Amino acid sequence: MSRTRKAAVLAAALASCLAPAAANAPTQVGIAAAVLNRVTIARGGAAQMRPAVLRQQVAMADRVETGSRSQLQILLLDRSTFTVGANARLTIDRFVYDPAQGRSMSASVAKGAFRFMSGRPGRGGNSTIATPVASIGIRGTIVDGVVGADAIAIAGGERATGGARDSDPQTATLVLLRGPGANTRGNVLPGEISVSAGGKTVTLDRPLLAVYVPRAGAQPIGPFALSLSGLNRVQGLIFPSLAEWRLATAPAPSGAYPMPMPQQRRRRPPVMVGDPYGGGPIGEPGPGGGMPGYGVGIPSLPSMPRGTAQSPPRDPPPRTSTTQQEPVPVAAPTPAADPTQYQQPTPPPPMEPTPTPAPTPAPAPTPAPTPTPTPPPTAPPPPATGPNYPPTPNDAPPPSDNNSPPSTYGAPNQGPQPGTTSGKN
Amino acid sequence: MIARRPLLLAAALSLWVIALPASAETIDELEALSRGSATPVAGIALARRQMGRGELTDALASLERVLINHPHARDAQLLRASLLCQLDDRAGSTTEFGQLRGRGVSEQALDTAIRECDALSRQRPAR
Repeated sequence: MSRTRKAAVLAAALASCLAPAAANAPTQVGIAAAVLNRVTIARGGAAQMRPAVLRQQVAMADRVETGSRSQLQILLLDRSTFTVGANARLTIDRFVYDPAQGRSMSASVAKGAFRFMSGRPGRGGNSTIATPVASIGIRGTIVDGVVGADAIAIAGGERATGGARDSDPQTATLVLLRGPGANTRGNVLPGEISVSAGGKTVTLDRPLLAVYVPRAGAQPIGPFALSLSGLNRVQGLIFPSLAEWRLATAPAPSGAYPMPMPQQRRRRPPVMVGDPYGGGPIGEPGPGGGMPGYGVGIPSLPSMPRGTAQSPPRDPPPRTSTTQQEPVPVAAPTPAADPTQYQQPTPPPPMEPTPTPAPTPAPAPTPAPTPTPTPPPTAPPPPATGPNYPPTPNDAPPPSDNNSPPSTYGAPNQGPQPGTTSGKN
Repeated sequence: MIARRPLLLAAALSLWVIALPASAETIDELEALSRGSATPVAGIALARRQMGRGELTDALASLERVLINHPHARDAQLLRASLLCQLDDRAGSTTEFGQLRGRGVSEQALDTAIRECDALSRQRPAR
């Protein structure tokens, strides 16, 4: 065979290999723009779930699942975003985007909490999100939804739903319009959604309006204005890490914790001066930006045995700009991060309303309640609840200890993180 | 004979290039947005730029990316609360402002943001 023939055959073979591959290549619709803890993706309807990696591409028909204390934001090509909270399952069924014509998207959420924000307004296009019991038509808006038992728990607290009786814990759906409202600023348009179920369609055109569909075949209940408490709970489900941080940093409790620990003193965490993210008050940057402040000033209490919860969890440890710029793989989980390791659940320690320095001596006296690092404790995290985030099946206990990093928050996934969380459904 | 080999290889390469997704550049843009919100400082700066262009939902998405991995970023939370106010999600902004109270955000900064939000809600946007 001559060299020319050989080269021609090689090129033909290469082309024949590439052409089908291109034809069968999945249609990329976006990327996993933010990944927290256990998030897995099954490609194009495949059964095998693989850990999602930060900024990995997401294709049509990919099935996404999140574990407990996990979260994902998918950034779609038209700049729409899909954010799902813990224990969620989402599939982008269809996505067609032409920058000149607009976007058409349909997705399905089988369970969990989600937020969808339309991108690129003014170019038309509709989006549809299907839940097991309802279809949500979206026209340029921000919409939140909850599918499953959490929807029942939230709707049950709303007068309009009559206690959310006769609801299916697998499929019950709560849908909430968040905005933009009629008086919105910026280059966005007021949003509107329509929720169809049981042969009835309900339109929501004002922020905070919600509907509830208790089960398959049932008509939507509503619209009704969701209570601020309900709104808080929806946010806690979509943003579990933020909810945990807020639980851990709750100011002096207005009510009693469910399981008070009388042997512990109520203590308020010191103000972390100098930590640009976790410590210093906004607008009051302290010296030595980024200095370690996490946990400082709250060492082990003399009266407490080591290994028990000692103080309310505070901000995570300081992060250097290096680790922030280039996310690093999450460190191996500590026992404190694994809820299954609980030996004796305890509530978060109560807090003291006054920011006093810790009773244990600091290395050097400082005028401000500047914390000092203490060795990481071994205490397991206590389950915690708060007035704004009542316990739900998806609620995960916050870190119990101010010195231990709050699980893996702050470290975007770069790959599989074995054992980071438990309870992926 | 040998001179034709580069041509054939170029043809094969061109086939491979054609097979690349047409949206590669856009995916790159998305990746840049994701990288741009990898830290609170960068994410807030990105959100402010987007707000300056009127891309309020994009800015909100940027801040929420920050908060997913940096939930302790109070300044991102405060800006997000103000952004919700600009999006006329008063309930959302009220809730977020309330959540920041007593959590290390300077009372002055918080009160200023709330006042600005209140003033904004009294105005009707010019459309």
